[in-house]
Order: sequence, then structure tokens, then C-alpha cells
Amino acid sequence: MAAETESVELVGEDVVGNVARAALFAALTGAFAYVSFPNPISPVPVSLQVLGVFLAGIFLGPVWGGVSIVFYLAAGAAGAPIFAGGSAGIGPLVGYTAGYLWSYPIAAALVGAVVHGFDGLDDPEVVATTRLVAGMLAGTVVIYALGTVGFAVVQNVGLVEAFTVSALAFVPFEAVKIAAAVGVVRSDAAAAA
Amino acid sequence: MLTYHPGDSLAHRLDPRTKLLAQAAFAAAAFAHTAPRGLAVLTVLTAAFLAAGRLSPARAIRGYLPALPFLAAGPLIATVNLDVSALSLGIEPNAAVDPLLASYRVLLILFVSAVYLHTTPVRDSRAAIQRLVPGRVGHLLGVGVALVFRFFPLLRADLRRVREASTARLGDERPLRDRMRLVGATGIRRAFARADRLALALRVRCFAWNPTLPELRFGRTDALGFVVVAALVGAALL
Repeated sequence: MAAETESVELVGEDVVGNVARAALFAALTGAFAYVSFPNPISPVPVSLQVLGVFLAGIFLGPVWGGVSIVFYLAAGAAGAPIFAGGSAGIGPLVGYTAGYLWSYPIAAALVGAVVHGFDGLDDPEVVATTRLVAGMLAGTVVIYALGTVGFAVVQNVGLVEAFTVSALAFVPFEAVKIAAAVGVVRSDAAAAA
Repeated sequence: MLTYHPGDSLAHRLDPRTKLLAQAAFAAAAFAHTAPRGLAVLTVLTAAFLAAGRLSPARAIRGYLPALPFLAAGPLIATVNLDVSALSLGIEPNAAVDPLLASYRVLLILFVSAVYLHTTPVRDSRAAIQRLVPGRVGHLLGVGVALVFRFFPLLRADLRRVREASTARLGDERPLRDRMRLVGATGIRRAFARADRLALALRVRCFAWNPTLPELRFGRTDALGFVVVAALVGAALL
């Protein structure tokens, strides 16, 4: 065993709390991949991963929200069945979902940055609704822009075709997710944060 | 679902780092050579990888079933030739060739990552990530990956219970936004409660930056693995 016995370097107090929260939000985003609602305009159901990305940015801020989603990608690559449809491995990270998956950490950091700014975390409950919605709209744009470009490059189709196949049937539900995320922030759940 | 299955196949005996590098090199080669000849060679290699991990193609593909409609949709939609100004709609089968090759290349990449998942235990994956990414960042990533593996099933069960309870009370008939809010709010509450307990437990146990990881050692089979990696990287660069 390659145990390091010479010195033990403790992880700082703040970092422990943040690592625990980031890891739990990554696991929650993974669990959200299994929460699906029937999609009336596509055979592929709507799942809630993107809601996890939004909430990570809102509750953990730009830095740890981004880190949380990086944990999500790393754990999925290592084999946790947490990507869309319960898939895992390096394949989804370089396949047609690559653009979507790699955009998640950027989107979470962006949502966090718009909601909190860079001068420490505000209590999400007191952040104005317009700011929450603006952050999540920006996140949605990043996710679908990178996702569509990724799909077009990997599948060798035009941008319009890529958007039609990979995004069109899901974009309308992002508005519902944004409304639901505002509802979550305004509910008692936020009091636990 | 694709998970680790204990075994003593060639792929099981390889160091996880070799397997991670092989996957990356395979993907690079597949993107560099998306012509019929290149893909034919990579198909043979994929078959060899599946044999080395003693994984049946049927099982591998079952793990990626949700991906198949998207892989089929790309080539299909490329054949549709819609001209809005002339109000004409045509079908062009030739336009499907390139997207079809692209879909096939993604399918091969998925097969190869299925072999990794089938032959590599989580602890080894975590150790490999921590050793491949240097310094504190690698340690942080390793801890994060391990905790996600630990807590994902718990949160998934939490959410399932919420949805069952909600369905039993006719929650299905509420608007979609309310249903999403209910699942989201409960998920957040459970995640924070678990994170607080976890953080306390980690502090009590003197959570340190230098944990004891399973030993990873390159063996003789890894030399063979490196030859394959080198060949793939060479092919990708040519």
C-alpha cells in the first residue's frame, strides 16, 4: 500500500464543507437524470439534469457550483451511471452529447456568477427573481449553444439539423425548469441552505 | 446498466491508467479517420477490445440504449432537403453518408468505453484519476468522484420515494412546474442535510489531503496496452 505516513495534511474547515456540498449536488444532478417526465413532442422524455446544474450555481455559487458539476462529469466518466438515460463512461463525454456535458460546468459557474457576483455568496432567498431568471436564461443559452455545436461537429451534420434533433423538443421545457427552480429557491428548502 | 464485473480477462489485468489512455487515443483516432477504411480497422480493434474484456457486444450496447435514437436521427434528418423559399421538400439519400459514418464512429467509441466500465472497479478508477491529475486538483477530484459514487444511490432513492408519495396523493395531476418544484425542493433539502452530516463526519475523522489509495502498478500486459495506445496516437496524428 502506498500509504503516506510521514505527515498528515488536514483539509481546511471551509473546504471540507464545500467539498461535501459540491459532491452531494453532483450526486443530486445524477439522481435528477432518472427523474423523467413524458415529453409530448418527442419520444425522448424530459429529465431534470439541467435543473441540477441551475441549482448548483444558485446554491453553491460560481466556484463550487462549477466544481460540483466537474465532479459530476468525472464520476460519470469513471463509471457512475449518472448521464442521460443512466449511461456512463468516457463515450458520452466525446460522443454526440459532448457539447451538452462539457457546457454544464460552464453554465453552473455562469448561473452562480450572475446570481451572486464574485464578492461572496448571497442568500439565494433574498436575490431578486429577475436576477435568478437572468442567470438561468444565460445558462440555458450556453448549454444549448455548446450542445448544438457539439452535436453538429460529432455527428457531422449542419447546425440547423443538430438543433432540430438534439434541442428543439427540449428547449420549451427549460422555461418550466427555470420556473420550478425559482419555486425551489422561494420554498422552505432554501431555508436549509 | 454497465458496471464492473470481476474477472481475470486481459482487460481486467490492465492498469486503469492504460485503459483510460487507450480510450482517449481510440476516440482521437476515430475522429481523425472517419472514412470507411479507417473505421473498418477501428471496428476490428473494437472487436479485439471486447474480446479482451470478455464482454458481449449485445451487453455493451444495452448499456447505451438511450443513445441509439440520436445516432439514428442524425443521418435520417440529413437526408431531408427542405427549401423554405421554394416550398420544396426533397429526400437526398447521399447526404446521409457522412453523418452515418459519424454515428458509427460514436458507436465504436461507446463500445470501447463499455469495456472500460465492465473491467474496472470504482476504487481503481478513482485512484487512476487522482494519479493522472497532479496535485491538489487531482486529490479534490478523487474525493469528489468517490463521494458521488457513495451518495448517488441514496439521493436517487430519496427522489424515488418523493415521487411515489406524490403519485399516491394524485400528484401526477398537478402542473409540470409544480411536480418539478416538488422533486427539486426535496432533493435540495435532502442533499443539504446529507452534506452537513457528511462534513461533520469528515471533520471528526480528520479528513486529510493524503488518503491511502489502492496500489496501481504497470505490469507486463500494460506494455502491450502502450503499444496499442502509441499506434492509435500515431494514427490520429498522421
